[in-house]
Amino acid sequence: MESTVPVLEVQDVAKTFDGVVRALDGVSIAVYQGEIVGVVGENGAGKSTLMKILAGVYAPDRGALFLGGKKVPFPRNPKEAARWGISIVYQERGVIPHLRVYEFLFLGHEEKYRGPFGLRRVEMRKEARAILDEFHVACDTESFMYELPLATQKMVEIARAVLGIRLESEGRAVAPVIILDEPTAPLTLEERKDLFASILRMKGRASFIFVSHIIPEIMEFVDRVYVLRDGKLVAHYDFSKDVVTEEDLFRAIVGRESLAYALGAEESTATSEIVLQAEGLTRNGAYYDVSFVLHRGECLGLFGPAGSGKSEVVRTLAGILSFDGGRLRVKGQEVHSHEPPYIRLTRGIGYCSGESGRELFFQWSIAKNISIVNLEKVLYPHLPVIRFRREETMAKSIAEKLGIKAPSVHTDCYSLSGGNKQKVSMGKWLERSPDILLLEDPTIGIDVGAREDIYRVLFEMKRRGIALVLASDDPKEYALLCDRILVMRKGRVERTVEAKEFREMAVV
Amino acid sequence: MRGNVLSRAWVRRNAGTLWPLLVAFAIVLGFQIANPAFLRYEGFITLIYAMSYFLIAACGLTFVIMMGSFDFAVPSVLKLAALLCVMYIGRFGFFAIPLALLVSLGIGALNGVLLAYLRVPSFMATLGVSIVVEGIALYLSKGFLHIMYDERFRALATTFLLGLPAIFYWAIGIWALSTFLAICTPFGRRTYAIGGNLIAARLSGINVERQRILVFALSGFLAGVAGVLYMAQLGGGSMLIGSDMSIPLFASVVAGGTALSGGTGGPHRTLLGVIIITWMQSGMLMLALGRDMQMVIFGLIAVAVAVATMDRKRIRVVK
Amino acid sequence: MRFRRFLAPFIANPVLLVLVGLVVLFSLLYPQRFLTGLNLTTILKQFVTLTLFALGPSMVVVMGSLDLSYVGIWMLGGILVWLLAPTLGPWAILIFPLLGLGTGLFIGVIHAKGKMPSFILTLCLLVVYWGLTAILSRGYSRAVKGYEFITAPLVPYIPTAFLWSLPLIGGAVYLMARTRIGLYLYAIGSNEEGAQLAGIPVTKYKIIAFALSGLFTGLGTIILFQHLGGSVPVELNLKNVVWPLVAIVLGGTPLVGGSGGPQRTIIGALTFSVFYRGLYLSLLHPEILQLLVGVLLIVSIIVGARGIKGVEIT
Repeated sequence: MESTVPVLEVQDVAKTFDGVVRALDGVSIAVYQGEIVGVVGENGAGKSTLMKILAGVYAPDRGALFLGGKKVPFPRNPKEAARWGISIVYQERGVIPHLRVYEFLFLGHEEKYRGPFGLRRVEMRKEARAILDEFHVACDTESFMYELPLATQKMVEIARAVLGIRLESEGRAVAPVIILDEPTAPLTLEERKDLFASILRMKGRASFIFVSHIIPEIMEFVDRVYVLRDGKLVAHYDFSKDVVTEEDLFRAIVGRESLAYALGAEESTATSEIVLQAEGLTRNGAYYDVSFVLHRGECLGLFGPAGSGKSEVVRTLAGILSFDGGRLRVKGQEVHSHEPPYIRLTRGIGYCSGESGRELFFQWSIAKNISIVNLEKVLYPHLPVIRFRREETMAKSIAEKLGIKAPSVHTDCYSLSGGNKQKVSMGKWLERSPDILLLEDPTIGIDVGAREDIYRVLFEMKRRGIALVLASDDPKEYALLCDRILVMRKGRVERTVEAKEFREMAVV
Repeated sequence: MRGNVLSRAWVRRNAGTLWPLLVAFAIVLGFQIANPAFLRYEGFITLIYAMSYFLIAACGLTFVIMMGSFDFAVPSVLKLAALLCVMYIGRFGFFAIPLALLVSLGIGALNGVLLAYLRVPSFMATLGVSIVVEGIALYLSKGFLHIMYDERFRALATTFLLGLPAIFYWAIGIWALSTFLAICTPFGRRTYAIGGNLIAARLSGINVERQRILVFALSGFLAGVAGVLYMAQLGGGSMLIGSDMSIPLFASVVAGGTALSGGTGGPHRTLLGVIIITWMQSGMLMLALGRDMQMVIFGLIAVAVAVATMDRKRIRVVK
Repeated sequence: MRFRRFLAPFIANPVLLVLVGLVVLFSLLYPQRFLTGLNLTTILKQFVTLTLFALGPSMVVVMGSLDLSYVGIWMLGGILVWLLAPTLGPWAILIFPLLGLGTGLFIGVIHAKGKMPSFILTLCLLVVYWGLTAILSRGYSRAVKGYEFITAPLVPYIPTAFLWSLPLIGGAVYLMARTRIGLYLYAIGSNEEGAQLAGIPVTKYKIIAFALSGLFTGLGTIILFQHLGGSVPVELNLKNVVWPLVAIVLGGTPLVGGSGGPQRTIIGALTFSVFYRGLYLSLLHPEILQLLVGVLLIVSIIVGARGIKGVEIT
């Protein structure tokens, strides 16, 4: 880097929420002029807290901020952050579809363009054109935002962030630092490439902090990377000096020492009966030509970095997304592409997500949450009436089996801890016992003890003959649970790995 | 759960049920002081008459609001059903009743289809449908007053059993059935689920589209039942039937504790709301406060209870 | 190329095609009666009524909310004018904008801070105003004299109320198309969370939107009061509530918000007036007319209010 003084540096930042949850603990990072710096970590590692502190959304408990070598107080709101040269581009919902490009570029900064007859649009358009040219964004200033391709929308958002800094700093020379919060999340694989090319062209004009958990993107694209885990800085790699492999980065991101792998991998319960068969399954922009078979009692892992298409495949199987090509057979029956989740469930495919907001009805009791997918079991025979006694005993047995800690099964799910919420959603699927259960990040954000309990449940499901499909971020989870693993990359299946082989790979 | 009754936590948990009770108590006390004739037998019967058809219609609307939607068409469906009954009972005999009910059911289902498959927001869809229904009612009735001459039909509502009119038993029966439907059946569970968390409801394998149509059909059907029985009670009617009940109806559902944000409350709560609102209505009549004053008061009450019950934490964007 | 440029406004606003089509159709159907001065004046009169009622609310619809209070402002305002005219003289007419502004602010605060759906909130308020009107007027429609100058004929065949409404229409269009407030309302309607992230004080602008809607309705009702006969009815006529809505939606302002606006509402109001007049000339039953209007409302709503993909509707 040409300059030795970083344009932005934070030292020893700490932030605690509600006096207990330690989100950040002594983190220091630096950004130099014209650099793209990656900040990676799992969900809950503290990366978004750090970015929100930089953008003026949160105030840190302690720490220092240096801009161009000068110590300054932390910004108190996004406007102040912009005045000092820091701006953030959010992951989603940042774009306002029905505004024209130039309107969107200046949104929130119209003061300068207020004339006696309303906004001075001619001038706005001209300046918008200038700034779009400067950032090599090819689009018409008169187009509506929704007419642009998603990657171009992102580019306009980035240009808008830089523009906001310029307008707010009022002519003082500030070096803009743009925070990109998982910018590729809504994009297809093709669009991501476009976005990267454009960002690389903008490097001279601004520095970027690139927040992501998609490892190949980070490797390809950033100059240096900081790895956060549990609110601490655990690693820092400079790709121009250090030799780093994807595996190294992966281990730095995930590597929990304490994880209970005392649980040995169990005997395979897979049978030869095929319950699910995919042939050349394709969803344009997400994944291509995915083929596999799934046997009863087997656990199939879809392994790969985020953005590899694994969660899209799982969601397609669940009926949340449709597919554009290929065939899908469930228990020998051909399945239609646009079937909603309830039809898939009648075919025997359940979907369990680690996001409890997508699984649970928080204002309901544990018992009701468990019975919502098991209503047939609690009804009277030939009479659609719920037997509350049956519902209660069912919930009690599940709560006991999974060790759900709650005063009673009539406790509202609101008040449960994250791990217990996850056990409730796992428990309802255990009771339901569908032929196939799709798991997306089943243990995300929960503590070690609860993880162990959930793995036990999953083993029991396998013994009962449920076929599992797993998509997760934790390689050890695959090593523990899966019988076969499809390694996915950029939307395609690279190879299929047997469990034993994968275990040797992952343990190293 | 059981804990100490009257402890602070218990009060907070049950605030939704408690405060309507308190309000009801205060209202009765207030009218008692203002007019000692309020709780006499004749007054009581008037009250029962005012309450019964109202409760039936409110039960239907409760299901819709529980599901997080809104049904603006209840009063006009009620009107149409009542007018169909009175106009065709001479020609078709008692078959006029199933005819009226079928039409109501169909209109309700149409509302559901507009929401579920054509993706029109329910309040707009039902507003549009209600205007068409009003138009049909006006076209059929030509705006005249129609008198019901069939005494057997009138007996459906006005026969007295154990000192109370039959329509009261109909209403209580339908209320009990609705409560049962909401609490004890999968149908009710699914309705609460859609109002509580639409995404989770879809992922739990609920056929959201079908459920929405069913709930709106139920709402239309109950509005039809209310209309038929109300016509039997009145013995005749014109376009004025049900014309200013929409705000009190909405207020009584929400005052009972079924929040507009959906997923909470239920028909069992609505009984309380209906009692409060209709008692206030009769009380105000006794104090010689006309329909106009009632509209003002109920409009303000409706706004107040809707704001008070709204679950502001869960709902991010309100239009 | 020239042809395409000529077509462009029609492609952007398909309702313009409908408008032209209707005019041609009715002119052919009723050659003696449709294109007469009297008939066109009637259409313009209807247009003024619809536009002045719909102008303010269409700003709120751009934001994705609804404001149904306009008829209430007209009715209650009319009675207040009647009550205050003896003491205030001709200045009493200014009660309309004051009432409108006050109503708008009240709705805005309750809606934005209390998070009550605007549709039901304004509906309740409409009923409250209706009740107040009936109470204050003691049940009779009250005529007020002294404002006849508002509708005194100036130009042959053109209703004076139409001339008066032109600056108001211009003001609304200007406000939405040229100023920051308008831009922010479009932004909120298009993506409320995004607007928040972009640093727009959403709550404040929601209140401003309802206040503006009330103010424009208030100013419009000054003209409407005399235009509709110098008195207000005591009974609420639902058609007065619904027709302006039809004009808004028909003009091409979808109820989900983000696009359209007052300039579209004018086209919608004109189309609706022509449509209604044409049906009226056909000597259909008035009941059938109401039915057709209801169907038109539903159809235009289905076209205009359908949820965007990915957004859950209730």
